[in-house]
Amino acid sequence: MAKKISRFEKFVMKNPFIQFYMFLYLNVKILSVVAHGHGGTR
Amino acid sequence: MAKVVILGAGIAGHTAAAHLRRQLSKEHEVLVVSPNRNYQWVPSNIWIGIGRMEPKDVIFPLEPLYKKKGIGYKQAKVSSFHPEGSDTEHKPFVRVEYVFGEQKGIQEDITYDYLINATGPKLAFDLTENLLPGTNKTYSVCTYDHAAHAWSGLKDLIGKLKNTNTTARILIGTGHPKATCQGAAFEYILNVEQELRRNKVREQVELTWISNEYKLGDFGMDGMLMRVSGKPMKSDELVEMVFADRGIKWILGAGVTKVEEGKAFYENLDGEFKTEEFDFAMLIPAFSGHGFKAYDKANKDITEKLFKGFMIVDADYSSKPYEDWTVQDWPETYQNPTYQNIFAPGIAFAPPHSISKPRKSKNGTDIFPSPPRTGMPSGITAKLVADNIIDSITTGSESRKHKGSLGNMGAACIASSGYGLLQGSGISITTFPIAPDYKKYPESGGRDLNKTIGALGLAGHWVKLSLHYAFIYKAKMKPFWWLIPE
Repeated sequence: MAKKISRFEKFVMKNPFIQFYMFLYLNVKILSVVAHGHGGTR
Repeated sequence: MAKVVILGAGIAGHTAAAHLRRQLSKEHEVLVVSPNRNYQWVPSNIWIGIGRMEPKDVIFPLEPLYKKKGIGYKQAKVSSFHPEGSDTEHKPFVRVEYVFGEQKGIQEDITYDYLINATGPKLAFDLTENLLPGTNKTYSVCTYDHAAHAWSGLKDLIGKLKNTNTTARILIGTGHPKATCQGAAFEYILNVEQELRRNKVREQVELTWISNEYKLGDFGMDGMLMRVSGKPMKSDELVEMVFADRGIKWILGAGVTKVEEGKAFYENLDGEFKTEEFDFAMLIPAFSGHGFKAYDKANKDITEKLFKGFMIVDADYSSKPYEDWTVQDWPETYQNPTYQNIFAPGIAFAPPHSISKPRKSKNGTDIFPSPPRTGMPSGITAKLVADNIIDSITTGSESRKHKGSLGNMGAACIASSGYGLLQGSGISITTFPIAPDYKKYPESGGRDLNKTIGALGLAGHWVKLSLHYAFIYKAKMKPFWWLIPE
């Protein structure tokens, strides 16, 4: 049985003010994951 | 003076050319050979496929930019590789054929000191019977013109649904048992769903996802465990939650082998042969190598030294069972082991194996996703190849200090799930590493849970739109473009 997205979760997902902070967080997170570097494994 | 030849001007080829030109002095030559006139930002094609962007929004012509920046450009396709030269040409070269203008059809041998093969994949529609974009009610979003064609088909269907009280079936997913790029199809089905709602015809449409994945959310990456709102969640649970919310049905473990007018024929992992009918379908084809040939100095065929479908690089290609796969199998420098001045970043390199667990149907048919290497990894691997070549040229000694294995590289997958500044939405996923390292992260599905996160909402659409503008700015090599990471 799939988890349902609650009405509150939908409100958060669509609220532009909350999502603005999420936008900033995501940009920082993406930069930290991607631009943090990469390398070999051997 | 060194000459670097780059085959292909997609994300990998163009990235490599831009970095090489910026960091090498003008005495060194950088030459791009591509059959395409335009650069295209492929990740935005899905928005062309729903009519919210036009091809001109995602492309720009290459020749004026390369002329301005001092990058050579030939609109031609490579036909053969000659890494030892020939009896008349002592330097290694590639034989190319011009595809446009007065020189169309003329062949030329282009010598090089370093060669970057960034030719990407061949869109192998021919590997699925009758799968051809724009025929049999099937479409593709793999290129900007395919996507524009898809929008034309979808627009007609929406118009028909608006004018009549009929119903329709839409099928979106993978069109081959070993297709990859599930992410693009996933984005497209969610965007189509939103457009159907926007046009008030959603209730008339049965929308179905068809995929060679064993579970939803596999994405060719063996799925992933991620943090969503601070709690661990599997990607299959996340995608199932989204599909259930949007009323999208799904068919999994399906290898589409044939298409007829409004019908997709597939085999599933239980070995059953089934048919799915549709009024509109977008099916991602298999990706394959281009079938290039290679010859030695005596003109003897040495294709097996360079190609294994795609180009052979520093990966471990030894055959071993899934349980023995490790991240050490994946290449680090994308250098051909036989001819060390040849590199293949992006999608052009032959992967050692898939990332998803290989599965066979009861009839023995392979049905599982091939590994994805699009977008961000293409840019990253192209830059590290360029950096190694730059170091080798400037220091005078061969450098391989820049490395980037998919087993030690992060990626962000920003999947649009609806267009609109306030009505849009996106599913943002970051993952580290791309190829799961089950030894290093045994408790979290091979991934670092601090770097593997998922988020749903409007912000995801804004991030994807920002990346669209940022990467086109970067590709146009505007001031300080190089500060934007790959």
